[in-house]
Amino acid sequence: MSKMQIDYKNIYYPPGGILLWIIIYVELITFGIALIAMVYYGKQDPQLFHDAKLQLNVTFGTINTVFLLTSGFFMANTVHELKEKNKSKAKKYLLITMLFGILFLILKTIEYDSKLDAGLVMSTNLFFTFYWMLTLFHVIHVIVGLIILTSVFFGMIKENSTMQMEDVEASAAFWHMCDLIWVLLFPILYLIF
Amino acid sequence: MKNSVLTLVVLIVLTIGIAIISKTTGVYVVAGILVLSALKFFGISFFFMDLRKAHPFWKISVCIYLFVFISVLLILK
Repeated sequence: MSKMQIDYKNIYYPPGGILLWIIIYVELITFGIALIAMVYYGKQDPQLFHDAKLQLNVTFGTINTVFLLTSGFFMANTVHELKEKNKSKAKKYLLITMLFGILFLILKTIEYDSKLDAGLVMSTNLFFTFYWMLTLFHVIHVIVGLIILTSVFFGMIKENSTMQMEDVEASAAFWHMCDLIWVLLFPILYLIF
Repeated sequence: MKNSVLTLVVLIVLTIGIAIISKTTGVYVVAGILVLSALKFFGISFFFMDLRKAHPFWKISVCIYLFVFISVLLILK
Protein backbone atom coordinates (compact mmCIF):
# COMPACT_ATOMS: atom_id res chain seq x y z
CA MET A 1 0.00 0.00 0.00
CA SER A 2 1.45 3.32 -1.00
CA LYS A 3 1.41 6.28 1.33
CA MET A 4 1.48 9.97 0.54
CA GLN A 5 2.28 12.64 3.09
CA ILE A 6 -0.98 14.48 3.78
CA ASP A 7 -1.10 17.85 5.50
CA TYR A 8 -4.39 17.70 7.40
CA LYS A 9 -4.03 21.35 8.42
CA ASN A 10 -4.61 22.27 4.78
CA ILE A 11 -8.26 23.27 4.35
CA TYR A 12 -8.54 21.08 1.21
CA TYR A 13 -7.35 17.88 2.93
CA PRO A 14 -9.50 17.03 5.96
CA PRO A 15 -8.98 13.45 7.23
CA GLY A 16 -10.86 11.27 4.72
CA GLY A 17 -10.68 13.82 1.90
CA ILE A 18 -12.70 16.89 0.97
CA LEU A 19 -15.13 15.01 -1.32
CA LEU A 20 -16.06 12.61 1.46
CA TRP A 21 -16.59 15.53 3.85
CA ILE A 22 -18.90 17.21 1.34
CA ILE A 23 -20.88 13.95 1.23
CA ILE A 24 -20.88 13.80 5.04
CA TYR A 25 -22.31 17.32 5.29
CA VAL A 26 -24.95 16.62 2.64
CA GLU A 27 -26.00 13.49 4.57
CA LEU A 28 -25.97 15.24 7.93
CA ILE A 29 -28.06 18.13 6.58
CA THR A 30 -30.52 15.72 4.91
CA PHE A 31 -30.99 13.64 8.07
CA GLY A 32 -30.99 16.81 10.17
CA ILE A 33 -33.85 18.37 8.19
CA ALA A 34 -35.84 15.11 8.37
CA LEU A 35 -35.34 14.92 12.14
CA ILE A 36 -36.34 18.57 12.58
CA ALA A 37 -39.47 17.84 10.50
CA MET A 38 -40.20 14.85 12.73
CA VAL A 39 -39.92 16.94 15.91
CA TYR A 40 -42.11 19.63 14.29
CA TYR A 41 -44.87 17.11 13.50
CA GLY A 42 -44.39 15.53 16.92
CA LYS A 43 -45.25 18.88 18.44
CA GLN A 44 -48.53 18.95 16.44
CA ASP A 45 -49.63 15.56 17.82
CA PRO A 46 -47.58 14.81 20.97
CA GLN A 47 -49.84 12.01 22.24
CA LEU A 48 -49.60 10.00 19.01
CA PHE A 49 -45.80 10.36 18.92
CA HIS A 50 -45.49 9.48 22.62
CA ASP A 51 -47.66 6.35 22.29
CA ALA A 52 -45.81 5.27 19.15
CA LYS A 53 -42.40 5.84 20.77
CA LEU A 54 -43.40 3.53 23.63
CA GLN A 55 -43.64 0.70 21.09
CA LEU A 56 -39.94 0.99 20.27
CA ASN A 57 -37.38 -1.07 22.15
CA VAL A 58 -34.92 1.35 23.82
CA THR A 59 -32.68 -1.55 24.91
CA PHE A 60 -32.24 -2.62 21.27
CA GLY A 61 -31.48 0.98 20.33
CA THR A 62 -28.92 1.35 23.12
CA ILE A 63 -27.19 -1.96 22.29
CA ASN A 64 -27.08 -0.98 18.61
CA THR A 65 -25.49 2.34 19.59
CA VAL A 66 -22.81 0.46 21.53
CA PHE A 67 -22.25 -1.85 18.52
CA LEU A 68 -21.71 1.10 16.17
CA LEU A 69 -19.48 2.99 18.63
CA THR A 70 -17.32 -0.11 19.17
CA SER A 71 -17.16 -0.63 15.43
CA GLY A 72 -16.05 3.01 15.00
CA PHE A 73 -13.39 2.49 17.67
CA PHE A 74 -11.90 -0.46 15.77
CA MET A 75 -12.12 1.47 12.49
CA ALA A 76 -10.11 4.33 14.00
CA ASN A 77 -7.53 1.80 15.21
CA THR A 78 -7.40 0.14 11.78
CA VAL A 79 -6.35 3.47 10.24
CA HIS A 80 -3.88 4.09 13.09
CA GLU A 81 -2.23 0.66 12.69
CA LEU A 82 -2.00 1.07 8.92
CA LYS A 83 -0.21 4.40 9.40
CA GLU A 84 2.18 2.57 11.73
CA LYS A 85 2.67 0.01 8.89
CA ASN A 86 1.26 -2.75 11.10
CA LYS A 87 -0.79 -4.46 8.42
CA SER A 88 -1.63 -7.68 10.25
CA LYS A 89 -3.13 -5.82 13.24
CA ALA A 90 -4.97 -3.48 10.88
CA LYS A 91 -6.55 -6.47 9.09
CA LYS A 92 -7.72 -7.94 12.41
CA TYR A 93 -9.19 -4.62 13.53
CA LEU A 94 -10.93 -4.14 10.19
CA LEU A 95 -12.56 -7.58 10.52
CA ILE A 96 -13.77 -6.70 14.03
CA THR A 97 -15.11 -3.39 12.66
CA MET A 98 -17.13 -5.30 10.07
CA LEU A 99 -18.28 -7.84 12.66
CA PHE A 100 -19.82 -5.12 14.83
CA GLY A 101 -21.42 -3.60 11.72
CA ILE A 102 -22.99 -6.99 10.95
CA LEU A 103 -24.16 -7.33 14.58
CA PHE A 104 -25.86 -3.94 14.21
CA LEU A 105 -27.67 -5.17 11.10
CA ILE A 106 -28.71 -8.45 12.78
CA LEU A 107 -30.20 -6.62 15.77
CA LYS A 108 -31.90 -4.12 13.47
CA THR A 109 -33.41 -7.02 11.49
CA ILE A 110 -34.75 -8.57 14.73
CA GLU A 111 -36.22 -5.18 15.67
CA TYR A 112 -37.79 -4.74 12.21
CA ASP A 113 -39.22 -8.26 12.40
CA SER A 114 -40.90 -7.54 15.74
CA LYS A 115 -42.34 -4.31 14.36
CA LEU A 116 -43.72 -6.07 11.28
CA ASP A 117 -45.20 -8.84 13.47
CA ALA A 118 -46.93 -6.17 15.55
CA GLY A 119 -48.30 -4.61 12.35
CA LEU A 120 -46.28 -1.42 12.82
CA VAL A 121 -45.56 -0.53 9.22
CA MET A 122 -44.79 2.70 7.41
CA SER A 123 -48.46 3.54 6.94
CA THR A 124 -49.41 2.91 10.60
CA ASN A 125 -48.98 6.56 11.56
CA LEU A 126 -46.71 9.54 10.96
CA PHE A 127 -44.25 8.49 13.67
CA PHE A 128 -43.69 5.10 12.02
CA THR A 129 -43.41 6.74 8.59
CA PHE A 130 -40.45 8.71 9.96
CA TYR A 131 -39.14 5.68 11.86
CA TRP A 132 -39.06 3.40 8.81
CA MET A 133 -37.82 6.05 6.38
CA LEU A 134 -34.98 7.28 8.60
CA THR A 135 -33.81 3.93 9.94
CA LEU A 136 -34.01 2.18 6.56
CA PHE A 137 -32.09 5.03 4.93
CA HIS A 138 -29.47 4.64 7.67
CA VAL A 139 -29.36 0.85 7.28
CA ILE A 140 -28.68 1.32 3.55
CA HIS A 141 -25.67 3.46 4.50
CA VAL A 142 -24.42 0.76 6.88
CA ILE A 143 -24.75 -1.87 4.13
CA VAL A 144 -22.89 0.36 1.64
CA GLY A 145 -20.25 1.00 4.33
CA LEU A 146 -19.80 -2.74 4.86
CA ILE A 147 -19.37 -3.27 1.10
CA ILE A 148 -16.72 -0.50 1.02
CA LEU A 149 -14.91 -2.01 4.04
CA THR A 150 -14.97 -5.45 2.40
CA SER A 151 -13.26 -4.00 -0.68
CA VAL A 152 -10.71 -2.28 1.60
CA PHE A 153 -10.06 -5.62 3.32
CA PHE A 154 -9.44 -7.38 0.01
CA GLY A 155 -7.18 -4.47 -1.00
CA MET A 156 -5.20 -5.04 2.19
CA ILE A 157 -4.69 -8.77 1.71
CA LYS A 158 -3.71 -8.38 -1.96
CA GLU A 159 0.06 -8.35 -2.51
CA ASN A 160 0.35 -5.74 -5.27
CA SER A 161 -2.56 -3.58 -4.27
CA THR A 162 -2.89 -0.08 -5.71
CA MET A 163 -4.91 0.98 -2.69
CA GLN A 164 -3.61 4.12 -0.97
CA MET A 165 -3.84 5.37 2.58
CA GLU A 166 -6.32 8.08 1.49
CA ASP A 167 -8.66 5.35 0.21
CA VAL A 168 -8.67 3.68 3.62
CA GLU A 169 -9.17 7.03 5.36
CA ALA A 170 -12.06 7.92 3.06
CA SER A 171 -13.67 4.51 3.73
CA ALA A 172 -13.18 5.03 7.47
CA ALA A 173 -14.75 8.50 7.25
CA PHE A 174 -17.79 6.99 5.48
CA TRP A 175 -18.09 4.34 8.21
CA HIS A 176 -17.84 6.96 10.97
CA MET A 177 -20.54 8.96 9.18
CA CYS A 178 -22.93 6.04 9.88
CA ASP A 179 -22.07 6.46 13.60
CA LEU A 180 -22.67 10.21 13.43
CA ILE A 181 -26.09 9.77 11.80
CA TRP A 182 -27.10 7.08 14.31
CA VAL A 183 -26.01 9.29 17.24
CA LEU A 184 -28.57 11.85 16.02
CA LEU A 185 -31.30 9.33 15.11
CA PHE A 186 -31.25 7.30 18.32
CA PRO A 187 -32.24 9.99 20.88
CA ILE A 188 -34.89 11.55 18.65
CA LEU A 189 -36.58 8.36 17.50
CA TYR A 190 -36.30 6.36 20.71
CA LEU A 191 -36.17 8.85 23.57
CA ILE A 192 -37.42 12.41 23.33
CA PHE A 193 -41.13 12.02 22.50
CA MET B 1 -4.79 3.59 21.08
CA LYS B 2 -5.02 4.85 24.67
CA ASN B 3 -6.94 7.94 23.51
CA SER B 4 -9.31 5.80 21.43
CA VAL B 5 -10.05 3.51 24.40
CA LEU B 6 -10.80 6.51 26.59
CA THR B 7 -13.03 7.98 23.86
CA LEU B 8 -14.92 4.69 23.50
CA VAL B 9 -15.46 4.39 27.27
CA VAL B 10 -16.73 7.99 27.47
CA LEU B 11 -19.05 7.42 24.49
CA ILE B 12 -20.52 4.24 26.00
CA VAL B 13 -20.96 5.93 29.40
CA LEU B 14 -22.73 8.83 27.65
CA THR B 15 -24.98 6.38 25.78
CA ILE B 16 -25.98 4.64 29.01
CA GLY B 17 -26.37 8.04 30.69
CA ILE B 18 -28.73 9.18 27.95
CA ALA B 19 -30.82 5.99 28.29
CA ILE B 20 -31.06 6.54 32.08
CA ILE B 21 -31.92 10.25 31.78
CA SER B 22 -34.70 9.39 29.30
CA LYS B 23 -36.42 7.35 32.03
CA THR B 24 -36.66 10.40 34.30
CA THR B 25 -39.13 13.26 34.09
CA GLY B 26 -38.40 16.94 34.20
CA VAL B 27 -38.21 20.15 32.26
CA TYR B 28 -34.62 19.67 31.14
CA VAL B 29 -34.70 15.97 30.18
CA VAL B 30 -34.93 16.61 26.42
CA ALA B 31 -32.23 19.30 26.60
CA GLY B 32 -30.01 16.92 28.59
CA ILE B 33 -30.48 14.10 26.08
CA LEU B 34 -29.71 16.37 23.13
CA VAL B 35 -26.65 17.96 24.74
CA LEU B 36 -25.20 14.56 25.70
CA SER B 37 -25.87 13.33 22.14
CA ALA B 38 -24.02 16.39 20.83
CA LEU B 39 -21.06 15.45 23.05
CA LYS B 40 -21.08 11.97 21.51
CA PHE B 41 -21.12 13.54 18.07
CA PHE B 42 -18.05 15.61 19.02
CA GLY B 43 -16.30 12.53 20.42
CA ILE B 44 -16.76 10.57 17.20
CA SER B 45 -15.86 13.39 14.83
CA PHE B 46 -12.91 14.83 16.74
CA PHE B 47 -11.31 11.63 18.06
CA PHE B 48 -12.38 8.71 15.84
CA MET B 49 -12.41 10.78 12.63
CA ASP B 50 -9.30 12.75 13.65
CA LEU B 51 -11.01 16.06 12.99
CA ARG B 52 -8.91 17.58 15.78
CA LYS B 53 -5.96 17.45 13.36
CA ALA B 54 -7.91 19.18 10.57
CA HIS B 55 -8.04 22.82 9.48
CA PRO B 56 -10.16 25.00 11.85
CA PHE B 57 -12.74 25.43 9.05
CA TRP B 58 -13.82 21.79 9.42
CA LYS B 59 -13.90 21.93 13.20
CA ILE B 60 -15.92 25.14 13.25
CA SER B 61 -18.35 23.87 10.60
CA VAL B 62 -19.10 20.76 12.71
CA CYS B 63 -19.69 23.01 15.74
CA ILE B 64 -22.00 25.31 13.72
CA TYR B 65 -23.96 22.34 12.35
CA LEU B 66 -24.51 20.91 15.84
CA PHE B 67 -25.36 24.30 17.35
CA VAL B 68 -27.99 25.02 14.68
CA PHE B 69 -29.43 21.48 14.81
CA ILE B 70 -29.72 21.30 18.60
CA SER B 71 -31.00 24.89 18.87
CA VAL B 72 -33.76 24.32 16.31
CA LEU B 73 -34.80 21.09 18.05
CA LEU B 74 -34.89 22.76 21.46
CA ILE B 75 -36.92 25.70 20.12
CA LEU B 76 -39.40 23.32 18.45
CA LYS B 77 -39.64 20.96 21.42
